Amino acid sequence: MTLEGLDREVNSGAEQRQGVSEDPGTHLAAGRQDSAARPRDWALSIGSVALCTAASMVLSSHLTLVDLAMLYLLGIVVAASRTGRGPSLLATALSVASFDFFFVPPYYTFAVSEAKYVLTFAVMFVVYFITSSLTLRVREQSEASRQRERRTSALYNLSRELAQVRNFGRLCAIAVRHIGDLVSRRAAILVPDEKGDLHPAAAGPGLPAPDEKLLSTARRVFDQRKRAGSGAPDHQDAQPLYLPLVAATGTMGVIVVFADPPANRFPQEHIDLLQGLANQVAMALERAMLAEEAQQAQLKAEREALRSTLLSSVSHDLRTPLAAITGAATTLLQHDSLLDQPGRQELTRTVCEEAERLNRIIRNVLDMTRIESGALAVSKEWQSLEEIVGAVLHRLREKSGSRPFTVRIPPDLPLIPFDPLLMEQALTNLVENALKHTPDGTAVELSAAARENEVMVEIADRGAGIKPGDEERVFEKFVHGGGTTGGIGLGLTICRAIIQAHGGSIRAENRPGGGALFRFTLPLGGTPPQVEPEQEQPHDAQQDTNTAS
Amino acid sequence: MTENALILLIEDEPQMRRFLRVTLKSHGYRLVEAATGQEGLAQAATRNPDVVLLDLGLPDMDGLAVIDKLRGWSPVPVIVLSAREQEADKVRALDGGADDYLTKPFGAGELLARIRVALRHRAELQVEGGEPRFVLGNLLVDLEKRQVYLNEQEVHLTPIEYNLLTFLIKHAGKVVTHRQILQAVWGPPYANQTQYLRVYMAQLRRKLEADPARPRFLQNEPGVGYRLKIDGDRS
Repeated sequence: MTLEGLDREVNSGAEQRQGVSEDPGTHLAAGRQDSAARPRDWALSIGSVALCTAASMVLSSHLTLVDLAMLYLLGIVVAASRTGRGPSLLATALSVASFDFFFVPPYYTFAVSEAKYVLTFAVMFVVYFITSSLTLRVREQSEASRQRERRTSALYNLSRELAQVRNFGRLCAIAVRHIGDLVSRRAAILVPDEKGDLHPAAAGPGLPAPDEKLLSTARRVFDQRKRAGSGAPDHQDAQPLYLPLVAATGTMGVIVVFADPPANRFPQEHIDLLQGLANQVAMALERAMLAEEAQQAQLKAEREALRSTLLSSVSHDLRTPLAAITGAATTLLQHDSLLDQPGRQELTRTVCEEAERLNRIIRNVLDMTRIESGALAVSKEWQSLEEIVGAVLHRLREKSGSRPFTVRIPPDLPLIPFDPLLMEQALTNLVENALKHTPDGTAVELSAAARENEVMVEIADRGAGIKPGDEERVFEKFVHGGGTTGGIGLGLTICRAIIQAHGGSIRAENRPGGGALFRFTLPLGGTPPQVEPEQEQPHDAQQDTNTAS
Repeated sequence: MTENALILLIEDEPQMRRFLRVTLKSHGYRLVEAATGQEGLAQAATRNPDVVLLDLGLPDMDGLAVIDKLRGWSPVPVIVLSAREQEADKVRALDGGADDYLTKPFGAGELLARIRVALRHRAELQVEGGEPRFVLGNLLVDLEKRQVYLNEQEVHLTPIEYNLLTFLIKHAGKVVTHRQILQAVWGPPYANQTQYLRVYMAQLRRKLEADPARPRFLQNEPGVGYRLKIDGDRS
């Protein structure tokens, strides 16, 4: 390596460090190296030369000139390993000068008696200079490798933390926190929203909302995938630094970092660090986005599947009652004169019943859609089961026909927290199911009992029962229990969803002696709010068990 | 006056209007129709109807706003027609001054029963006081002596039970919301304490109903309130 080359190397190293010095408040505290030499360095360099001179004085009578020159070399190495380039150069010059002044005859003058000493001084100067330069370089390299290590470990920590998170917003927050720890707390990450407009997903504390100028620069950086702002090739004076988050599938967002405290430029090492960080964050965000997309796609596919099943099922189940209505109504309209009174009645009743069936199917389909889309909102209130059963039986009283319908609800059954409308729906579906699968005249029983932390409700019939092995399957979507007056096969599915939304469970089984039994539980969950008793005790309570037909 | 009562129908669906027009006219009612809330309010002001049938899903304005405006100057009974998805609106409409409701789809019998009840309450508003005795099947309430008889046997009611029953009698046939009952019987601080209502209604059912799980008089309307059922119409 030529001297010139060495010099360039040293210079470029010094320049790099010079860059750091322009930003004295940066957070890579350990990496800060003040190479604009401090007074202490100058003193050290002068001191080491003075010490060498003094030692040489003491030892000069025992040593040759060559030994003394070596002693000065030691001082140079010490100075170069402790100070910067300037003080080392000063030490080199001072050492040669002192050697000349004190130990080369004639003494105590810079004049030299023999021409050969000039060559000696020149060689000494070059050797000292090279030695000090090499020492400096070793130091700088170890400094640089320490910095690399710190950067690697910073990036490693970041990637480890990013790997544990799948949430877009939290990933951005983690990245901003790391940038804050390493470079500047005044950082933000902008990501595109659904419409593609950039907005901050995470921002450091105290950072103002992005203004128009910042957003438009960020937009450009996002689109062109080139960094901009401080330290970028195309910019000198812009304050923040913009780094695109470029991943394999596209740009994920933009990191915006303001120097803290405000400065014109970022040091190269910070830019490198931020670049490495940006790559990590971009990959993590991409991963999160892909995972999210995959999940959305799966949900969508499930929804589509449900929708198509619903559609095919609905179109068939809706057409049957519609066909009956259309037929009956057109007959009434066009052939009224041909009909006798019972015939007219019969057709009118068909229209009513089939319309009612249509209404039930549509209600079930809507309920199912609400349940599947997660829009089933349960608003619990302390309710009386007896009242809801009363309302359900009142509504279904015509369908019950002449079935003996027994209701056994103990008068001391506690209030239960449930959503009255949903529970009315669940009970309606269960009772309708029992009515649907039993011939007129067979008994249906509804009973309730309080247990420790729950209330158990049973609805039992004496119909054909459930096909063995189908006890679980009857609650599945679109499973018809057979029979012709059936609906769409959603009633029990909705019923189970409602019971489960209340924290309860439902089961179906065959009864000994024939018929189906549906049993569900509702958790009591805490104590009902107190009702202050009236002064006067109520009495005349009637029988708790009532049977009517 | 019942047979010639004037009904204002505020409903935007032509099919519904057609069904209601035929049904109501065949029962001797006079009918005014409006397709929007604005038009309905204008008709209400000029024609002074005896009953208003109001659809909650109007295109031009919220049904609740129509009731609010109407109640600014008229005590005319309002029956709201609502879809099943409008449960919350229904309760708000009732608390906001509507007298009753019908959930679509509804039958003609139900509709006519509601209209009859509304007209009767309107008539009672005009004649102060009312009957001193209330008779419903085998239930007799002597409102002057504050005595209740079931099958000619006196039934002992606590003061709250009695107040609850008489509040329902006052609104017989009409739905009353939980909030309305709680405010009237227990007082405004109890407006949301529905557990009181559940407990006392259960006591009342036990004293007055042969089968408390299938009440004949004290009918529950889940999520809305209660109705003292008075006639044999299906409802």
